[in-house]
Amino acid sequence: MLYLLLLIFISLVGVFYLRHRAASANQKRLTRSQENANLLKVLLELDVDSLDDLFKLYQVEFGESAARYARNTYQKWKSGDVRPNKQTFRRFLINLPRVMNFDLKCEVLRELREAYCPRGEYDVTVSIDDWKSTLTPLIEEIVQRATTAELPQSLQRRLTWLAENDATAAKVLLAESQARETGNAMTLLEKEFSNIEELLDNAPRNTRISHVLKLPLGSIKVHITRGSEDG
Amino acid sequence: MDDENDELVPQKQSLFPLTADDIVDNALQSLDEQQAKEVTKKAADEVVRIAVEKRKAEYRSDRAQDEMRNLINNANLLDDKVADYKINSTFETATGTTTVEIRKSKTNTTLIIIGVVVIVLLLTLMLVFMKW
Repeated sequence: MLYLLLLIFISLVGVFYLRHRAASANQKRLTRSQENANLLKVLLELDVDSLDDLFKLYQVEFGESAARYARNTYQKWKSGDVRPNKQTFRRFLINLPRVMNFDLKCEVLRELREAYCPRGEYDVTVSIDDWKSTLTPLIEEIVQRATTAELPQSLQRRLTWLAENDATAAKVLLAESQARETGNAMTLLEKEFSNIEELLDNAPRNTRISHVLKLPLGSIKVHITRGSEDG
Repeated sequence: MDDENDELVPQKQSLFPLTADDIVDNALQSLDEQQAKEVTKKAADEVVRIAVEKRKAEYRSDRAQDEMRNLINNANLLDDKVADYKINSTFETATGTTTVEIRKSKTNTTLIIIGVVVIVLLLTLMLVFMKW
């Protein structure tokens, strides 16, 4: 009797374990499929010219019919109405990068960096008199982030072409470029704040101003108050 | 035994793993001639792109300045003529977007004053009744 009960107990545990494993494998498959869809969406954010180059290359590699289907479906992949299958994902993100020219590879990498590298998001309140002392260190941090940012390891493991020499060169080039763009923002901010100061000086008292500073690898939401003499 | 140890530890080679800088240096040195040309061309393109983006940003900044001046004029006109108003404006500027909210509300202020007066009156009446 005891053995029978033990056998039933072991069977129940076994069934429970197998069901749990099947469920988690199913969930993992879904996650991977969603991950592929998201990666393709990022790729399809390329600007019009680069996207056109991508589809031309797709046609050369996989034929006219496949390219026609891709051109007709890409808006649905982008919006999420249609989830791309594994073959589509592999074609776009595994096979094509190996035959892309350096220019297109850089643009793909730029999109991937903007979507997947860790971003700096800040929300600060500054006075029109002291904005520079608050914003300068934050912008410097985002510049530093642009120089050192790396794509997540899981992504690098999947997109192995990222480890190839030309992709490494592209990464160095983009890092420098994004750091320069971020640095330029600091120069442009001088003029921005001069405009905002003029607005605050002349607008009615109950005026609230906020500015969202958009940078390649981060953004800063700045709430601006009047100068210290106004409290 | 000594010979075996010599083989296990290669001579003139660091035991430390490659650093990120080493990997980048190796990658850049391993580019073939065509790849090196493409990298140089892309770098030049990027310099031009950044300069063009900066120029576009400066143009957006000038346009935003004009729009902000218009907003101030309109708000000041409204401020003189109307008791209640609220203006929300968003400007595409050189480095992002600026949002401006201007609001004037006499109704609310009046309501608050009336509310305070009513509460004070009620409290006074309560005190008077309690003394009775």
